[in-house]
Amino acid sequence: MDRRVAIVGIGQTRYETGKTESLDEIAFEAASKALADAGITRDEVDNVVIAASDQLDGRPISSMTLACPAGGYLKDEVKASDDGTLAVVLACLRLLSGVFHTSLVVSWCKCSEVPTAKVTNLSFDPFFHRDLGLNHINALSFQVNSYLSRYPISEWVPAKIVVKNRANAMGNPYAHLVEEVSLEEVVQSPIVCPPLRQLHLPLECDGACALVLTTRERVRLTTQKPVWISGLGWAMDSYYLGERDLHQLSSVAKAARQAYQRAGIKKPIDEIDVAEINELSAYHEIMAYEALDFCTPGEGYKLVEEGSTELTGKIPVNPSGGALAASPLFAAGLVRIAEAALQVRGDAGERQVTGVRTALAASCYGICAQGSSVFILSQES
Amino acid sequence: MMKEKRELVSVPGKWDISFNYAAGKTVSHFLAQIRDNGRILGMKCAKCHRVMVPPRSFCERCFVPAEDWVELGDEGVVEAFTIVHDVFEGSPPPPYAIAYVKLDGADTALANFVDGLDLSDISEATQRLKIGARVKVEFASRREGRITDFKYRIIG
Amino acid sequence: MARNVAIVGIGQTNYTTLRNDVTYPELVFEAVTKALSDASMSIDEIEAVVFSLAPTSLVGVDAMERWCIDAVGAKGKPFMRVNTGGATGGSAAQAGYFHIASAFFDTVLVVGAEKQGDTPDTQLILNQIWDPRFERAVALNAINMSSFQAVRHMHKYGTTEQQMAMVSVRDHKNALNNPHAHIRQAVSLEDVLASRVVCWPLKLLDCCPRSSGACAVIMASEGRTRKLMQRPAWIKGIGATTNTYYMGDKMETEMFNDHGDWDELALAAEHAYRMAGISNPAKQIDVAEIYGPFSCLEIAAVEALGFCPKGQGGKFEEQGFFNMTGELPVNPSGGALCSNPIAVTGLVRVAEAALQVTGRAEGRQVNGAKTAVATAIGGSLQFHTAMVISANL
Repeated sequence: MDRRVAIVGIGQTRYETGKTESLDEIAFEAASKALADAGITRDEVDNVVIAASDQLDGRPISSMTLACPAGGYLKDEVKASDDGTLAVVLACLRLLSGVFHTSLVVSWCKCSEVPTAKVTNLSFDPFFHRDLGLNHINALSFQVNSYLSRYPISEWVPAKIVVKNRANAMGNPYAHLVEEVSLEEVVQSPIVCPPLRQLHLPLECDGACALVLTTRERVRLTTQKPVWISGLGWAMDSYYLGERDLHQLSSVAKAARQAYQRAGIKKPIDEIDVAEINELSAYHEIMAYEALDFCTPGEGYKLVEEGSTELTGKIPVNPSGGALAASPLFAAGLVRIAEAALQVRGDAGERQVTGVRTALAASCYGICAQGSSVFILSQES
Repeated sequence: MMKEKRELVSVPGKWDISFNYAAGKTVSHFLAQIRDNGRILGMKCAKCHRVMVPPRSFCERCFVPAEDWVELGDEGVVEAFTIVHDVFEGSPPPPYAIAYVKLDGADTALANFVDGLDLSDISEATQRLKIGARVKVEFASRREGRITDFKYRIIG
Repeated sequence: MARNVAIVGIGQTNYTTLRNDVTYPELVFEAVTKALSDASMSIDEIEAVVFSLAPTSLVGVDAMERWCIDAVGAKGKPFMRVNTGGATGGSAAQAGYFHIASAFFDTVLVVGAEKQGDTPDTQLILNQIWDPRFERAVALNAINMSSFQAVRHMHKYGTTEQQMAMVSVRDHKNALNNPHAHIRQAVSLEDVLASRVVCWPLKLLDCCPRSSGACAVIMASEGRTRKLMQRPAWIKGIGATTNTYYMGDKMETEMFNDHGDWDELALAAEHAYRMAGISNPAKQIDVAEIYGPFSCLEIAAVEALGFCPKGQGGKFEEQGFFNMTGELPVNPSGGALCSNPIAVTGLVRVAEAALQVTGRAEGRQVNGAKTAVATAIGGSLQFHTAMVISANL
């Protein structure tokens, strides 16, 4: 992509449960912070791309009340669905077309206002699956069991992921869950649906995240160090779980292939300095290592055992703490992009990985990661 | 293949999702003031000086926070209205009238039901309920902190 | 500069209330296969998909687009859904445009479907769109939202119930020529005026039907288009504007602050016209497909699109300016008043406009139409899109 679009502003609310602000207020907070971070005002933005789920927002057309709080008043504004990261995808397409120059991207989610599992149960078709009580959490165990039957890894491996991410979150002022846990606590935490235990799963919470994106021509108009989007990809898998190869994250692999190709990345493990992954469970982070080609299929556990994805490892994953520490469900993927951008900028504070030049952000969305998007962020070459 | 008459099946369903919409500090105060004191408050933007009702904690036009409360009058002027004669699931039995009213002291209009009009004859009703008509706010004696704690009534 | 983008394939199902014979993905599949056949393309030639779907509460499956991945051939491909309420179809078409204008892809399928026949009362859902802290409790829905627009237009400009009824008469007459239209029955001025009051001043025949149906549009880059066909429809300009959610904020008379006027559409159209090099729309546009699910809305739209002076929409309607034989035919398809599959109504406007400029609109063809504009509207009459489509690059 020749570094033609850059992230020049990042805004995050704190991610916490039971926020008392209304939905429009958290969208406004994130949007305002991103503009301030970019050192520009709303006047300098010529288009706004938001992403949200109507059902998670509790309003059939949630952008009605949220488009303007997110900065859309009298702007060319559009809303993507499915995942917060798709707003970044659409913004990039709009900027690369040459029609627009500076985009404000905003997404949010308030899991505390809505029974999320009930909503995701309604995303199952009413004829075959909905009556089985499936949702975004219990369906994950199909996937994990499928993975384990092919690659039987010890329960200490996902436990290490949880320990790592929770420890990393201690350095992230936006993460609401800032308690470290031990390996024993993870393997003894209550079973949700075997083999998934409570501590293997993301902690759903409230929050909003916003980015300012601009083109190479406009980048000097902002005060911020640009973080270039050097590659991106997005893909969907089939809907029926029975049709999918559940033991692997196919959508992630497809999206990554596109992103690597656009960024000219041939050996991800050597070329990427840090990764932020929206892990749907601790097991899914391991599966993502494989789908992202950090290692061959079935070898993800080795990266964990070697400590390669810890803060001081060869390719630190989720220095922010990832979704296991704080997941504003629909916006969790966008948060990964924001965190990866902070890493490239060198502004990640206590959670900063040293010497980051290239970062990866990956999102998984839908049931069992039906969809995925992958972004490669780089410093100026 | 044998040709047979195939029946078409539909499976009943109902979306029944409960929500707890956080009203936020600003709207919470507004609703509490209606309930406790029968007062309607607007929020003034310090930059463009618009007095907004429903109140918001920020002005989406100026994109700055707002925090100056202004008490509004209990009378205002009709800016838009409709008289509903059809049945809608979940809505009151028809006929009923809804109006956007700009309360004295506000720059924006607030929607609510209009009470005390004979709506059976539309041409007669629209003689009184029209843009520019003045209305008075009438609070219910028992209030719950909801927008429906008051209605509008045409004056004169 | 943006790359040139053309519409190279169109598929529409017929629009009707109930489609009990198919599931939602099957309905989508119908439109996809028609569009592929229209473009003489195979599904493998489609590089990315944009899905046009408004509130899923109307179809009863949350994130319904994900159930359609195989119906649109998107397994393993880039796929995104756009949702801007009623304006969704217009926004999805623009998202499709950006997929190609950005040089990311050479082909994209923009597709969606509405199946609101599966829910008994659309307006119950369209009550839930309002802020739960305020308007929801005041029994608002999409019809009385439009009534507020109508009464302000009537008050400000003297627009009459008769003029609004004439819009309905015209659309119904045009729909007789559209085999896909949901309502194919002529109505007289008297019929409209005598139909029962729904939300005054809107009467039953001022209102759209509840339609189900699917629409698909295939877009391609200039290079790919040249290999595919002789007569593509080129997307010459696009624009969109969002205004406030709060209708009560638009009770002033100045620009953008009057719920009775559609200044937001004027702004969106201005952007699209500028890209397309249109300076005098009333002269340079040959035909318009306007998303007006209520008769009063078309009057505000023709003014915003610059077809007549502000406030004169009703009078121009009276004079037959927008009839099939008039100066600037509006909605030869019968418009949203005769088919409103909400999720794709905006996309249908784009499809119909493309058919017009390529001379493929059959019985509803406007003679010699070369340049068209298609619009969409959503939310609290707050989301507006406009797209200029032309036979000439």
